[in-house]
Amino acid sequence: MSAVPSFDDSRPLDRAIARAAAEWLVRLHEDAAAEEFVACEQWRAQHPEHERAWQRAQRVNQMFSVVPRQMGLPALGRSTRVDRRNALKILTVMVVGGGAGYLAFREKPWQEWAVDERTAIGARRAVVLADGTQLDLNTDTAIKVEFSGSERRLILRRGEILVRTGADPHGASSVYRPFIVETPQGLIRALGTRFMVRQENGGDPATQVAVLEHAVEIVPSAAPQHKRIINAGQQVRFTATRLGEPGPASSHVADWSRGILFANQMRLDEFIAELSRYRVGVLRCDPAIAHLRITGAFQLDNVDNILAVLPETLPVQAIYRTRYWVSIVPPADPASG
Amino acid sequence: MSTAEFAPQQEVHRLYCEHHGWLQGWLRKKMGNASDASDLTQDTFLRILTARDKGQAAELREPRAYLTTVAGRILLNHYRRLSLERAYLDALAAIPEAQSPSAEDCIIILETLHQIDAMLDRLPPKVRMGFLLAQLEGLTYAEIAVRLQVDVRTVKRYVAAAYEECIVLMS
Repeated sequence: MSAVPSFDDSRPLDRAIARAAAEWLVRLHEDAAAEEFVACEQWRAQHPEHERAWQRAQRVNQMFSVVPRQMGLPALGRSTRVDRRNALKILTVMVVGGGAGYLAFREKPWQEWAVDERTAIGARRAVVLADGTQLDLNTDTAIKVEFSGSERRLILRRGEILVRTGADPHGASSVYRPFIVETPQGLIRALGTRFMVRQENGGDPATQVAVLEHAVEIVPSAAPQHKRIINAGQQVRFTATRLGEPGPASSHVADWSRGILFANQMRLDEFIAELSRYRVGVLRCDPAIAHLRITGAFQLDNVDNILAVLPETLPVQAIYRTRYWVSIVPPADPASG
Repeated sequence: MSTAEFAPQQEVHRLYCEHHGWLQGWLRKKMGNASDASDLTQDTFLRILTARDKGQAAELREPRAYLTTVAGRILLNHYRRLSLERAYLDALAAIPEAQSPSAEDCIIILETLHQIDAMLDRLPPKVRMGFLLAQLEGLTYAEIAVRLQVDVRTVKRYVAAAYEECIVLMS
């Protein structure tokens, strides 16, 4: 074997050297003194492996620079936790599947399992369940997934989800497992593929359902006799005892899954209440301006930007008491008040 | 090529002949899709073959347990790719048309996202997020500390840990 040329970067790199390079990058990131840069240069010159680690780090930075700002965080910041959970599940199944447990595993391919998923305020996340169902979790949402041999149940504890049910690869050989979303107000059985469920807590807890494709059946928990089918293009709000007449679903009902809040002549107090779901802290609207109307498509990823431009379209101002406490109030200009 | 590497290849060949159909069935059941299952079956044997070339010989007394372990990892990668692609497409849809990258740029961006995603795969969520906020959003460590509700020293530790992982995995 001849010596490996120094530009060959395919050889494994010692982790301790990688760590040293990583520490240099952090030290030089902010407010580094000139001597630090010199010291780093010296470190790099000390050994070819140091320089190799440094060059790799530069390539890491280059990779990130390729990613457009609007895309990086939505794509890479999505939680991979569910994948990990799936990993756990698949690995568990594999332990069963290997060796002596293998036959037992074949007879019961879907282990009963439950996972919890949640999003923080302002966060959104896409999750793919084991049956192929695609879930979008909106801000401040908590769900529990309970799949068993006979049904696929998803418990919505808080927040809002958009569901595209999967084909359930349980296979033709076995029973069809219905897909059910459970909220404190009742059950939503998927008869179709795409629908949105929003859990409204507070003074008058209710569940709101909008169907985008096909249909769902809703069964209020305390009044199962009032169950009814809601078709695509309809939405309805229900409580444990009441299930009203469905109305037409807004075509923008699932916009949040793309990070957008669409307002069409929306009252300002409703608009602010909607925004506050996506922002940590207190966000209030002064009753004096609550009746103002707002129209537009707003990027939910930066609520503070929306607040900052509000005064350009409406006679309002945003008062930051603290970073976490914002009030939308009439303008300070004495001429208008 | 030494003969030492030749024998394992034969072994993989035997593994392939005896268990290929079974593994494909196993994956089909997991994925509910025959053509994906077929692709991933090939990937699994390819992975085993290349792993053995590198001398990472595995225990073959339990061939099906071994196969499902490797296939399970590949399946996870597959799901990770899917979920990344979906998040990517959603992000793309949210960008105004005028600012949308060209088709070629999209390919480069998506491939880069995959590479980054794979490198960050094993990092704890907070470490990953801290690093992403620094790299993608250009936040200062102090700003990241507020977002993640940790102190600045911890943020620095996160970023260093993520860099370290990337440097090790990058080649």
